[in-house]
Amino acid sequence: MSTVNLTADSGREIAFLDEVKASGAMKDIYFSPDRSYVVGFFRDPPANALKDRLRDIVTRYRENLFEKEGGTFWRSHFCWPTDTVTHNGRIGVVVPFYEKAFFFEHGSKNNDMLKIRGKDKEGKWFASASNREKFLDPREKGNWLTHMRICLSIARAVRRLHMAGLAHSDLSYKNVLVDPTTGKACIIDIDGLVVPGKYPPDVVGTPDFIAPEVIATQSLSRDDPKRVLPSRTTDRHALAVLIYMYLFYRHPLRGRKVFDQDPTKDEELGMGRQALFVEHPRDTSNRVNPDDLRLQALPWGDPAQRPYTMAGPLLVDLFNRAFIDGLHAPEKRPSPADWESALVRTLDMVQPCSAKCEMGWYVFDNSRLPVCPHCGTPYRGELPVLNLYSSRTAGNYLPDNHRLMVWDGQSLFPWHANRTVYPNEHLEERHKRRVGYFQFHAGDWYLVNEALPGMRDLTGKRDVPVGGNVKLAEGAQILLSSEDGGRLVQVQMAGS
Amino acid sequence: MRRLLVYLLLDTSGSMAGEPIEAVNAGMETLVGALRQDPYALETVHMTVITFDAEAKTVVPLTPLEDVVLPQITTPRSGPTHLGAALEMLGQQVRQDVVRSTDTAKGDWAPYLFVMTDGKPSDIQLYGEQCAKIRRVGFGSIVGCAAGPKAREEDLRALCDHVVRLDTMDSSAFAKLFKWVSEIIAHGNKSQGTTAAADLPPPPAEINLVF
Repeated sequence: MSTVNLTADSGREIAFLDEVKASGAMKDIYFSPDRSYVVGFFRDPPANALKDRLRDIVTRYRENLFEKEGGTFWRSHFCWPTDTVTHNGRIGVVVPFYEKAFFFEHGSKNNDMLKIRGKDKEGKWFASASNREKFLDPREKGNWLTHMRICLSIARAVRRLHMAGLAHSDLSYKNVLVDPTTGKACIIDIDGLVVPGKYPPDVVGTPDFIAPEVIATQSLSRDDPKRVLPSRTTDRHALAVLIYMYLFYRHPLRGRKVFDQDPTKDEELGMGRQALFVEHPRDTSNRVNPDDLRLQALPWGDPAQRPYTMAGPLLVDLFNRAFIDGLHAPEKRPSPADWESALVRTLDMVQPCSAKCEMGWYVFDNSRLPVCPHCGTPYRGELPVLNLYSSRTAGNYLPDNHRLMVWDGQSLFPWHANRTVYPNEHLEERHKRRVGYFQFHAGDWYLVNEALPGMRDLTGKRDVPVGGNVKLAEGAQILLSSEDGGRLVQVQMAGS
Repeated sequence: MRRLLVYLLLDTSGSMAGEPIEAVNAGMETLVGALRQDPYALETVHMTVITFDAEAKTVVPLTPLEDVVLPQITTPRSGPTHLGAALEMLGQQVRQDVVRSTDTAKGDWAPYLFVMTDGKPSDIQLYGEQCAKIRRVGFGSIVGCAAGPKAREEDLRALCDHVVRLDTMDSSAFAKLFKWVSEIIAHGNKSQGTTAAADLPPPPAEINLVF
């Protein structure tokens, strides 16, 4: 096979093997000889707008994202094009190869019966209950905690794009690689980015993720003012669908309701004008009929067995806004920042399953005796729940709607101790280390202070110096930090 | 969950003997292998394979993709190409297999049909009648492949929405053909453009698309 050498628009030397390795909707993909990057050529002859847009993406937008403070944080979140090339009249983008974690190490069951080892981890493998159950090697599946982390990664990445004024326009499980073994996610196919008012979208999206208003108007001409094309608002719909699918392995709008006898029209209405959330609390007409499912799609395929309320109150509120209030009212959809914040806090409300079942983790359900919703095992042992409060006016502490579950291995971080610290790309190096940990000793739980100078046990009326500890008992109040924004915790005891 | 039923009609007349039929066998392996690496196809695709020479035979009855076991397809030493008879058999099966939507339950997607032949139908009158019937069944897409120098695209055009021509009948040409067919089947899951509606994915260089 011959190697093609050429000079990219930045002046760098680029090489690729002359064989199409994959084809997308718009591009053919070629590999570099050392497999450190790929070159994707657009099949259609280049319009000037496309060229301009690609140049902007590989220069201005890339620099703004990666060469600013916090830039390295984003390297693992995006597979961002680095250069543009022209060859035989076709225009192409140079894109780094995906990280190793995004290729299957074990693949499918029975010594990889589907031969997917080494293939990229397209999200659909993990977002489908029956595919997970029937095909995936258990070592590839991760657990509920890693899936929640995947959602956090995606929400963060989309939030960053939107902050920069960009819309992805084609978020789907094809364009987001995920790794459930580590909880990483990476957004790919960045070259379709939409810049409002400057570069219009050239795709409407991928089925399952296209916003209802886009589907409902897709038969209108592109220039028709009523035609809705992808934007940040439609990205918000796609993001909500992705998060729902990675947590529940089913689609939020695919239920039993028949909208039309013709399957194509039925799809158009069910994903478009008449779309209806399968778990809508009042309108039950689109509930999933478990008899329609393959046996292997259970229990996740059936919302009655795995309701979305499992995700906890913060995420439920956002799902309601995305799929009930905002499904046909785009302006009401939650933003990526809303998802990020709710996911960060929900991750603190996650507790391990006492039986270490396959899913392994679940969100605290606010009951005295929590039971793992995956396998039915009651939580064994005492489970301290730390309710976080913070103060806006001296001495007056208000709840932050943020709880931290205490289990073996849980840590206290600066963003728990102070409400002005937030775990994102701006987190300073000194704030990345834990400041305390929890230890179970002689039948009681203790918080051990490692780095919080102003910690005080308000109930016992004594300071807790660095190196000291405080027992976690029902009703105990502990001031974590006396600094500005410092938090107070109120302890509740659950478990047995 | 809606199913996508895929029907493959493969010519096994005498002229396919030798390298061509071996290439078709290898091509079918490629097709099923490629589809099994597609998580979307695994959820939806069910497949039937019908061969035709002097008689039409169902070599793979409707089977979910993951359970398909491909038999070794063979050819008689010589003999006619009864494509009309194959269509007749296909028509009966499709009417039986496809679950239609009702007011209360969702049915299957409109099925796909692929027809590959290297000659012209010997049962020309029956073929003509059956073409008209098959066109009314409601296939989502019918793709025909005229393989080798003797196959005539005009014959297939009466039946198919798209006809491709395979100039050579060696294994690499068939491998590319079946890979392309797998892409058509899995196409529903790809990004959709803002302009044209349902386009076929681009065929490989060896195939010429005739409209």
